Parts: sequence; C-alpha cells; structure tokens
Amino acid sequence: MLCKIAFGNVRRAGKDYLVYLLTLTLAVTVFYAFNTISVQVDIAGVSAQNNGVGELLGSVISGLTVFLALVMGFLMVYANNFIMKRRKKEFGLYQVLGMGRGQVSAIMALETLFVSGAALVLGLLLGLALSQLMVFFTASLFKTQIADFHFFFSLGAFVTTVGCLVAIFLVTLIFNLRVVGRARIIDLMSASRQNETVKTRNPWISAAVFLVGLAAIIVAYVRLLHDGLPYDGQPEAMSAFLVTTLIVVAGTILFFFGLSGFLLKALQSARGLYWRGLNMVTMRQLAAKVNTVSFSMAVIAMILFLAITSVTTGMSLADTMNNTVERGTPVDYTRCLVYFGPAVVDEMNAAEAVSASAQEGGAASDAEAVVGRTGAVRYAVADAPVDVMEESAHDVITATSDEIAQGAPAEQPFDLASVAGDYIQVDGYDSTPRGADRPVVTLGDLCRAVDMPLPAGVDTSSESSLGLLVMTESNYNDYLRFRGMEPIELGEGGYTILSDMGATVNDIYNKVLGQGVELQIDGRTLTPAQDRVPEDASTFQNAMMGMNSGTIVLPDDLVAALDLPPYYSYLMVNYANGVSTEEGDAYVGAHRTYSDVTNDAGESIAGWGTEATRTNTYESTDTMNGLISYLAIYIGFVLVVACAAILTIQQLSGVADAGANYRILAELGTSTKEISHSVLAQQTVFFLFPLLMGVAHSIVALSVIIKLVALFGGLTIEGTVGITGLIFVVGYGGYFCVTYLMSKGMVRDFVRVRASE
Amino acid sequence: MLPATMTSSPARADLSKLPQTPAQATSAPVLEVRHVEKVYGNRQNVTRALNDISFTVSRGEFVGIMGASGSGKSTLLNCVSTIDAVTSGQVLIDGTDVTRMKSGKLARFRREQLGFIFQDSNLLDTLTARENIALPLTISHVPAREVLRRVDEMAQRLGIREILEKYPYQMSGGQQQRVAAARALVTDPALIMADEPTGALDSKNARLLLESFETMNERLRATVLMVTHDSFAASYTHRVLFIRDGKIFTELRRGGSTRQAFFERIMEVVAMMGGEGSDAL
Repeated sequence: MLCKIAFGNVRRAGKDYLVYLLTLTLAVTVFYAFNTISVQVDIAGVSAQNNGVGELLGSVISGLTVFLALVMGFLMVYANNFIMKRRKKEFGLYQVLGMGRGQVSAIMALETLFVSGAALVLGLLLGLALSQLMVFFTASLFKTQIADFHFFFSLGAFVTTVGCLVAIFLVTLIFNLRVVGRARIIDLMSASRQNETVKTRNPWISAAVFLVGLAAIIVAYVRLLHDGLPYDGQPEAMSAFLVTTLIVVAGTILFFFGLSGFLLKALQSARGLYWRGLNMVTMRQLAAKVNTVSFSMAVIAMILFLAITSVTTGMSLADTMNNTVERGTPVDYTRCLVYFGPAVVDEMNAAEAVSASAQEGGAASDAEAVVGRTGAVRYAVADAPVDVMEESAHDVITATSDEIAQGAPAEQPFDLASVAGDYIQVDGYDSTPRGADRPVVTLGDLCRAVDMPLPAGVDTSSESSLGLLVMTESNYNDYLRFRGMEPIELGEGGYTILSDMGATVNDIYNKVLGQGVELQIDGRTLTPAQDRVPEDASTFQNAMMGMNSGTIVLPDDLVAALDLPPYYSYLMVNYANGVSTEEGDAYVGAHRTYSDVTNDAGESIAGWGTEATRTNTYESTDTMNGLISYLAIYIGFVLVVACAAILTIQQLSGVADAGANYRILAELGTSTKEISHSVLAQQTVFFLFPLLMGVAHSIVALSVIIKLVALFGGLTIEGTVGITGLIFVVGYGGYFCVTYLMSKGMVRDFVRVRASE
Repeated sequence: MLPATMTSSPARADLSKLPQTPAQATSAPVLEVRHVEKVYGNRQNVTRALNDISFTVSRGEFVGIMGASGSGKSTLLNCVSTIDAVTSGQVLIDGTDVTRMKSGKLARFRREQLGFIFQDSNLLDTLTARENIALPLTISHVPAREVLRRVDEMAQRLGIREILEKYPYQMSGGQQQRVAAARALVTDPALIMADEPTGALDSKNARLLLESFETMNERLRATVLMVTHDSFAASYTHRVLFIRDGKIFTELRRGGSTRQAFFERIMEVVAMMGGEGSDAL
C-alpha cells in the first residue's frame, strides 16, 4: 500500500522529480564513465607506453570522484529540499488521515528509493555507453592507437558509482526524514501559505549593497592584477592574496544580494520602460526571489569561475606543452650536472661539521663507533666545469634480480660513449664572480634598462636570485655547430641573451637586445650582437617546457677574467649510427646508481641533475597532456552540471511558487506567450549573471595565471576557449533550455487550471 | 450626482455621455447570454452544469447571481468571462460573440472589455498596490504617464491612496479587495465580474466593499455582475438571478424598494429554494 502511494507520488510529482532524476542520472553516468579510466587507458593502449599512468589517473579520478560525490550529494539534498518544501501539506494530510510518522517516512524513503534506483539504472546504462565512446576520446587525448577494441564493463567503477549513489541516497533520506519527523501537523498543513510570504527589501539599500559589492570586486581585480599570484610562498604575498580572495568573495555575495534591487531601481527610474507590459512583474518577481536565491547565485558564480579557470588553464597547459615539446627535445638524450655554489658549499660543510661533532660527542664513551664512522664528506666549489661524458663512467648499472637470474652481471660500469654518436657539452656559469656578492647582470638590471616591470611571480627575495647564467661565446658556437646552425660573432664587446621560456621574459630580453642596451661588465662596455633572442637555439636539455630562463653569452676572455664559478653542465647526446632509438633509450634508461662528482682533493663539487630521452619527454608530454585535459574536462563538466542543476531546480520551484501570479496575469488578459517571455527574462537573469560574473572573475584570474605560467614556457588559451565553450554550451545551456521549456509547460498548466476547475 | 473630477476625465468621455441616473438600465445590453449549455464528462457520465441559460445585463446595471454550491453559478461566470468555453449557445459582450473568438484575440478582449474581482483578491503578491492596479494598463501598453495618472485617480475614488505603496501582505482583506476593485475598474471595462468578492471578508469589511461597488456602479457607471451566496451582499444589487441545477430558477428586481426590503425578499426566495429540499444556501 505504502509502495503504491509512493509510486503514485513519484509519477504525479513527475515534474519536480524529473530534474532530480535527470541530475542524478547524469551524475551516475559521468561518475561511471570517468571511473572506468584505468580500463580505458588499457584498451586505448596508453599503459603499453607509460606504465602506471592508468593506475595514477584511476586513483586521482576516484579520489576526485569522492569530492565530486560530495558536491553532488549537497546538490541532491538541495534539490530534494525544494521538492519537500512543496509537499509539506501533503505529508500533513497523510498524518491528518491517521498515518503514523513512521509510515509517512516510509513513503518518503520509498519515493527517494524509486527515483534513486531509476537514476542508477538509467545512469549506468548511459555510463556504459559513454565509457565505450570515451575510449576513443582517451586514445586521442593520450595520442595512442586502439589495439583491440572490445566492449568492457568495469567492476571497480561500478562499485564506486553505486557506493557514491548509496551515500547520496542515505544523506537525502536523513534530511527528508528530519523534515517529516520534526514538523508539526499544523505547520505542514499551513506550509503553502507560509511559502507565499514575500519579503521585500528596501530597493535603495539593495542598490547600495550592489554598488558596494561591485566596488569590492573591482578593488579585488585591481589588487590581483597588480600583485599577481603568490608564487614563491612569501607570507606577505600569501596574506595579500588571501585578502584579495576575501574581498572578491564578499564582493560577489554583496553583488548578488543587491543585484535585483539595483535592477529594480534602475528600471524604475526609466518610467516608460518600467510601466510597460510585464516589465514590472518581471522585475518584482526577480526582487522577490532574491532572498532565497542570491546566495546560491554568488556560490554558483564562484563555482563557475573555478570550473572555467581550471578547464581553461588545464587545457592550455596541455596545449602549450604540445607546442613546445618539439623545440624542447633537440637531441636523443640529455643529462645535467649541477655544481655546488659557494653558499651551498658553506651550508653543507657546516651541516657536516655539526653532524660529525655530534657523532664524535655521542660516541665518546664508545670507541667502537668512532672507528666505524666513515670520514665526513667535504664540499667545494668547482674550479672549472668537468667533462660530463667522462664523469658519466662513474655511474654503475645495477641489474634487477630477474636479469641476474638470466645471467646478467649484478653491476657493470655505465659506458655512455658506447651508445653515443655526436655529442656536445654546454656549460653555464653563475653570474656572481667568486668572492663578489652581486651578479654582474640580473633580470632586474635588464628590466630597469628597458623600463619594464619584473614579471609577476619572479622570486625577488634577493638580487642574486635574479642573476642570469653566463656562457662563453666559443661554447655557444660549438653548440650552434652541433645543432647545424650558423655560429655567431660577438667580437670584443658583444653579447647576446638566450632563453626558451616564452613571452613574458623573452619580451624583456627582446626589448633589451632590440634597443641595443649597453651593459657595463668588468669595466667593459657591451652591446647586443643580435636583435632577438634565438629561441630555437636556447634549449640545452630535453624537457616538456622551456627550462632556460636567461643565459647571457659573453666573449671568452671576459668570462675568464670574471672568474665565475660553474653552475650547470649539460651533455647533449645523439645516439651513434648503429644504435637504434630503442636500444639507446633502453641503455640510458637502465637502473643506475650515481655518486657526487669529486675534484682531485676528493671534495664533492657537483651532483647529477635530470636526464631525459627525447622519447620519454614526448611520452610524458602526451601523458601529462591527457591527464590534465581529462581532469580538467571531468571537473569542469561536473561542476558546471551541478551549478546548472541547482539553478534549474530553483527556477522551476520559483515558477511553481509564482503559479498563482501567472494565473492572475492570464485572467487579466495576458497571453501565455507574454507570461513565458517574462519567465524567460527572469531565468535569463538567473542563469546569465552568475555566468557573466564567473567569466569576469576567470578573465582576470586567467590573465594573471597566464603571466605566471608564461614564465615556464608561455601559455596560449585561444585553442582551449572552444572546448571550454563547448562544455558550457552543452552543460549550462542544456539545463537552461530544459528549465525554460519545463517552465513554459508549467505556465501553460497554471493558466489552464482555473478553466477546468 | 457626479463628482467634479469625473466629468473632467477625458478617459471617461464616453461614459459621461450616458444617462446620468443610476439604477436605470439603458436599452443597449452589455451582456447577452443566449441558450448557454455547459456539459462536463463523457458519454457514460454527463454533468450538465448549465442547462439552456439565457439572460441579459444592460449597461450600468448591478446584477447578482445566487445559487447553492454546485448550482452552476461559478461555471456561468467562467463562461461569461471567457475563462471557460461553453458547450453550446452564445455569449455576447457589447455585441461581440466571445464563444467564437480565437484564444489570441480572447486575451486582448478580456484585457480591454472585462474586469475581474475574486474572492481571494488575487493580487500579485510581489507587486505594490499601485503596481497591481496599473497592471491591466501596462499589459495593454498604455503610456506610462497615462498609467500613473489613471491609477492615482482610481485610488482617489476608492479611498485607497494611502496604501498605494503597500504590498498585499501589508494590507487588510478589505483593503486588498478594494485594490482588486480598483484594478478591475482602471481599464474602464464594459463589464465587471465579481466572484464571491465578500466571501473572505468580515462583515464590516464586506459592507465597505459593497459600498465601493455601489460607488463604482452609481458614480462610475460600471456594469457589475456579482456571483454570491450571501443574501446580504446580493441586497446591494438591482436585480438578482437565482440559479439552481444549471437553470435560472427565478429573478428578483429591487425596483424602488429599500435595501432592507430587498434583502427580506431575497431571503424569502432563498428560504423557498431551500425549503424544496435543495442544498441550503
């Protein structure tokens, strides 16, 4: 019997439940489809080239899913609240008719169960279909070929999805039971009358609140554009950023609280417009709803902002990496040696001394320990760069137990020369001469010379952190010849600057070179030998993005005279003719142990930095690309859908609440079309303003993010606007259309009701 | 006796040409109901809500319709007011047959020729009194200045100027009904239809509202058709049609008698209808 009532209720309250069902179904579909990622990457052939990507992505996605399930859960509780609010009277009636609270609760629970169950079945079917399609999408994102396509079902994804849905169901149920359990019958019965009370605010105050909010938002924008993002984690920058964030949040909330009042006041001052047709009705309906809706509009604006920003940034990042990876992989294999600088050497020696004395002190009573202790490591600043190819021979290849079982020796020396064809070593020097306390040339100097600000996000803690690296002319010319390019001629007083970091810093360098800025170094006047940064001849190691943020090339004798300590040595290797890329990659990719590079005195002077093959740089670019795009789309889509669903539910319940008003309008001789137009105008405001606000926030945030990210190789967002736009058109626009069409139907019903009474 | 403000109003120019004596119907009927039938249901189960009803209402008349619940009086009002469609018969308002109108034209007709007052005042809860009264005019795209002038004028006449800036929830039931009356009158309609206007009011407010109706009828020359089951309310009219089982049972004219005398005659008919075993009124 209860079952029958519940089922009947779901059918009767179909309109209310439709949105609920739609959203829940969509949630299940998206959850399932995205959680099959680990199976998808298998079929798409991603795992074959990148072991662990699927697992990594899978674990990230399922973690995210929990977070998004929370968002969805909140959304469902919210959606459900609206349904419940309108049905209080009905629950009161059940109790008046003698049903116990337990029975009413049971009806409620059954209703929720029916809808959730339907959503689960529908959602899983759609998810199953979507996940098959997504394999192709995944393959294209990760740039792989589908070797063996077959229909698949992921039990893991199924379990996660069902788990999330059950959790959502339980939370919703608890909320519903509370509504039924707490309310007194008299409240339930008079609920509909209570809902009709319209609280209105003084429009002058609202307009003032709106203007204050708008001002706060503008202030926050100016602050953000001026300060940039806190990138180096300085506490002042962080707290300034936090203040900016708080201002923009407060501003957004005030903006939406005052919005309708402001619009009302603005339109009222235009008499001819206000007192025409249904304009005043539209405005008053907006103003009446502002109490219940303005806060969620503000929240939605913020969520949309997060969604837009994360999708755009993510996709752009992926796009940028794609564009720079070719330039970023000049040779088959690179490895890098990092020399210890004076400051590092002092610090490490001091640390060693402390630990050594601590060990001696602690072991004073135990002579054995002193005997067993190995000598303390000494660090020193290198006199000159070392031969990286030679030093590489100190690495030891260690075999795995499997390989040993197959007869491979446990350890063998790493003979890089055996696979190397032609190769080149590039040495970068610290621009602070030994014993000096300031670099000979810094980014700050160059910015001042061309009257440009330092790029946002640059570490400005000390002048020496802004120092450029220094390279000799002859070394750079060797590099150019190695790359098959024309050598340059600096002469006595020439210099040039290298960088592959993209627009932000290159704009400065290009201006410096283009304006012929003269530099005074060691009493010598230097002028630019080139008028542009040779971006294609500035890369010294395989990497997804530009790594050379600024290297100045100086005449050899000047570098020698400056007495600069070495900073980096890059070894760039192409495999020998007889060595295939696979063989070469396999050899350099074998597991090795490293040790610090020492000088003749046995002091450590350098440690090994990154090494990378062209192949794995490409692969990690593709993987990174896929990963970022995947997550960005997933998060973006779910957030947008969640926002749109909240708005839809609010709007539909708003239309239902205003039903009596629309009926009166019809009786007064307004056509259904005009009423629908008024509804459309209201809904456009509710959908459009949060979106516009989110977009505005995003534009400001993205312009700052671009500045920051440009430091790491530039970022272009043009290409991703399309995808972001598509997500919004499909998700947000779709919900908007559904909302309007359903509202239109509701209006038609209201208008018709009295006729059939 | 017309107040000076009345005759100076250009909007009322057409009305001022009409005979100035109240309670005297002119020859041209505003409303003509001819053989109207309304049938609900299907072949197995037919409900004849209106059964061949015919009557006319002349310009400037104040007519009451009485009947028990289910007698068909509300159905009649809905059919006349174009909210509901008749099964057969004709409804002519100012000579136009509204039963033949297309829905698009109907909305316009309703807007321009009819005024409504309901039991629950049916004001838009989000609008102030001024905006509620102005609504029929703005819907008809009357210029803003004209809208505001006419609203002010109407508010003055019905004594509700002080509450123009209030929202419905800030008014008493009587005030709400007077605002609704102002809204019905502001377009200067051919016919005003009131459905149980005093139904939700206490006796004092009901009396005030009915006096407003008299004012509307006598001073503004408005033609009013009021459905009620309250004999006291009906006694304010010139003529009462009694409806039972979808037919006109009888008709009472006030003529020259006092309201009190008319009330007693109405009560007699009500008692007679009730005495024949029908539903109590």
